[in-house]
Amino acid sequence: MAWHDLVRPRVAYAHCDIPCGIYDPAAAKTAADTVAKMVEKIQGFSGTDEASRNNFVRSVAVKEEHAQICKRELLILWTDYFKPEHLTKYPNLHDTFWKAAKLCSKNKQNVDAKAAAELQTAVKEISDIFWATKK
Amino acid sequence: MFVSLIPVVVRGDSMEPTLRDGDRVVVRRLGRAPRAGEVVLVPDPRLPARSLLKRIAAIRPDGALLAGDRPEHSTDSRQFGPVDPGSIEGRVLFRYAPLRRAGRIR
Repeated sequence: MAWHDLVRPRVAYAHCDIPCGIYDPAAAKTAADTVAKMVEKIQGFSGTDEASRNNFVRSVAVKEEHAQICKRELLILWTDYFKPEHLTKYPNLHDTFWKAAKLCSKNKQNVDAKAAAELQTAVKEISDIFWATKK
Repeated sequence: MFVSLIPVVVRGDSMEPTLRDGDRVVVRRLGRAPRAGEVVLVPDPRLPARSLLKRIAAIRPDGALLAGDRPEHSTDSRQFGPVDPGSIEGRVLFRYAPLRRAGRIR
């Protein structure tokens, strides 16, 4: 027992709201990686049998779903985690998020390996900024 | 005996570098109106059972504006608006632990 435990202090919070601790760009990264993987699978399909067509449709559905998840996760970081103070240090923050969100839409609409790779890069960039602000 | 000194332990890092997570400080009840610049103990207006430690950025006609010394790690009046100056419990006087950083808080 330390000497200062002789008195029991009240707890007071000099904090950031609890959600602060649970923001994580990992969800956006997983979604972007899934999109890229699905694009790869979709482009690799050649079979015309029922099983192949079923898998093709499923891959398209998963690609669209994860492009949407990626956008949602990015928007949460953008609107809830990042604060005006971060903008002074990262003046391109809004542009970075806007372009990344647009890439989510582009990947949802198209089967485009280049766009999928661009989305992965954009999410990585946001992730790097996020972790830099945590230091 | 009337207790006018309150020992308080800090949770969170929004008041860095002034106060660090785990610091123990003594708060003195205010017998006067709070002033801008003071580090104060105040109930969270959104959840009064919870106490906050923040600095008074300004006293305005509509209340006291609270801010963290480390704004990017702080939830304060930017989110919950100004607080009633009368709700402010007291002012942080000094840190008593850890001993090596003990001293007056400004």
